[in-house]
Parts: sequence; C-alpha cells; structure tokens
Amino acid sequence: MAQENITFTLPDLGEGLVEATVLEWQVAVGETVERNAPLVEVETTKSAVVIPSPHTGRVVELHAEEEQAVPVGRPLVTFAVEGAPDAPGIVGRVPAEEARPARRVRLRPPTD
Amino acid sequence: MSANLVDGVTMHYVDVRPSAGEAGVPVLLLHGFGTDFAMNWRAAGWERALEAAGRRVLGPDLRGHGASDKPRESTAYLPECFVADLLALLDTLEVERVDLVGYSMGSRLAWELALAAPDRIRRLVLGGFGPRDAFAGTDLSDPGAGEGAFDRVYRTVAALPGNDAEALAACARGQAARPFREEPAPAGIPLLLVAGARDELARDAAGLAERCGGSHVEVAGRDHANAVSARGFRQAVLAFLDS
Repeated sequence: MAQENITFTLPDLGEGLVEATVLEWQVAVGETVERNAPLVEVETTKSAVVIPSPHTGRVVELHAEEEQAVPVGRPLVTFAVEGAPDAPGIVGRVPAEEARPARRVRLRPPTD
Repeated sequence: MSANLVDGVTMHYVDVRPSAGEAGVPVLLLHGFGTDFAMNWRAAGWERALEAAGRRVLGPDLRGHGASDKPRESTAYLPECFVADLLALLDTLEVERVDLVGYSMGSRLAWELALAAPDRIRRLVLGGFGPRDAFAGTDLSDPGAGEGAFDRVYRTVAALPGNDAEALAACARGQAARPFREEPAPAGIPLLLVAGARDELARDAAGLAERCGGSHVEVAGRDHANAVSARGFRQAVLAFLDS
C-alpha cells in the first residue's frame, strides 16, 4: 500500500494559549503508534496535557526536543501512514455518505 | 451526568465503562483544587489509560468546581460535605467498592473518605499531597494576595474560565477549617503516595507514606502542576492498583 507522510502540528489547547512546552515524548522515531494512543505530554501555563496520536503510523520525525516550547500550529511530529490518511482523532469524522432523511414530507399543490 | 445528592447541591460526574469488558473494581478519581475531572484527569491521559486497563472510571466534578454547583459559603466546603457527596454518588450508582485516586485537594478528600468508609475503599492513592499545611503563608481572608505556595495556586486557577473565584475562596476556607491530621490513618487499606520531586505542596510525602505503612513514588523533575500527566505517575498507579 502507498505510504504518505503526514505532519501533525500543535493543536489549539484552549483559549488564549499560544504555545506549549514538550514535557515528555511518549513515542520515539521508528516506532509505530496507534491512533488515540498517548503521543506527547505537554504543559501550558494552565495545565499539563497528554495529546493522543491523531493517526496510526510510524513516527518519522519529532520536531521538538523535550523542554522546548512549541507555538500553536507549528510542526510537532511527522508520521508515515499507510494508505489514506485517518480522520484526525480530536475532531469528529464526517460520514462518507450522508444518511437518507428518515422522514419525508410530501408536498401537495393547493387543491382549490 | 449529574445527580442532586446532598443539600440540593447538584454534582456533575462522568461514568465511563471500558468498551472491551470490565476487570477489577471501578476507579474513583478526585481532582485537585480549582480544576475539574476533564482538566485534571481526562486531559492528562488518565481516562484513556484506565479504560485500556479495563477499569470503569467514576469522575466527579467536586462541589465548587467544573459543572457542579458552586455554593459560596465556606461551611459548604468542610471535608465532611465532600465525603457525603461522594458516598451519595457511590450509593446512587450502586457501586459498593472503589479504588480511590486523588490529586492535591482530591487526595486530602480521598483520605477523609477512606477514614469515613474504609470498607468501600479497596486501594488508596494520594497524588501531589503531603502532610504539611497546604495553606501555610496564605491569608485565607484574601487568598491570592500573598506569595505563599497556595496563593500562587489560587491565582492560577481563579483566572481559569468557568471558575468562580468567590466559591474557590470559600472552598479554601472550608478545607482550612479542618487541618489535616496524620492520625488516625485509614486502617487496612493499601496506600500509595506519588508526587513530583519538585512539588513543594507535597513535601514529606515520603515521610507520611513511611509513617502510615504505605509506599511512595517520586516523579523525577516534576512539580505540583505537571506531575499528574507524567507517564511514570500513571504507570506507578496502574501497577499498584493491579498488584
């Protein structure tokens, strides 16, 4: 299957937060990580957070050292992912096909 | 979910069952001062880790916190008020016994719950907690105004969205009205204390563990704010709960 490299950037972790400091990587380059498994532990001025992996794939590159501050939106990690990219783990997945409406309303022309 | 438990104070909580079938008793997680279940435990990776271990997770927002009611009288925050809330929650859910894990103020309340209902607690974990007075150096008539360790905690959490600074101040005064005592200690319950090596609010956690016949794990390089999300902390607790 085709492999694709996908780079995951530091997501917005809450209102007003512009960066986070990497505390501890939970994965290493070359390792395979499952979607939603712990990826990296970061700390903001408000709290400490474990970010889950948005993809299942092999870790190709870590873009930040531990104790390094990363601005929101900057690259965090690059994965090699088999086939089509997964939907991101943090937001919902959009259904591939829209469900048929459960109820139908028949419109009738006026009869008078 | 929410339940109207005690004195008309409504508690919001999560009750998450593992998808792959349950093993072991449920785990009740008590968050720290000024946070809530989502911030203290879920965001720090605990719900996922416990679910992977097959554990059902009970995660209340303690009164005065998160989506639960926030009375503004300090008498509503005496430790026994929280204990009554938690016992009512277990009764409502028809849960007989839990493994109990607290962080910071949640540890203090876990200790009180274990004293009040030892037969309902299988194992007890106190995170980010030590026997010293957490409010030393703070004027609780005006928390946040000084430079004590608790003043700094209060300033951080009082500014968080969704928090009610007045309710939090009342909560601090209610807690301080019943200073922590090492004796009596909960009897017959295996005890683990875990804290960051640089956690000044958890100083002498090792001494408390030793005096109570419990175990102690130190998380290298971490402080009060960032020990809770450390992998080493979760692994120590999961191993203790499964041993």
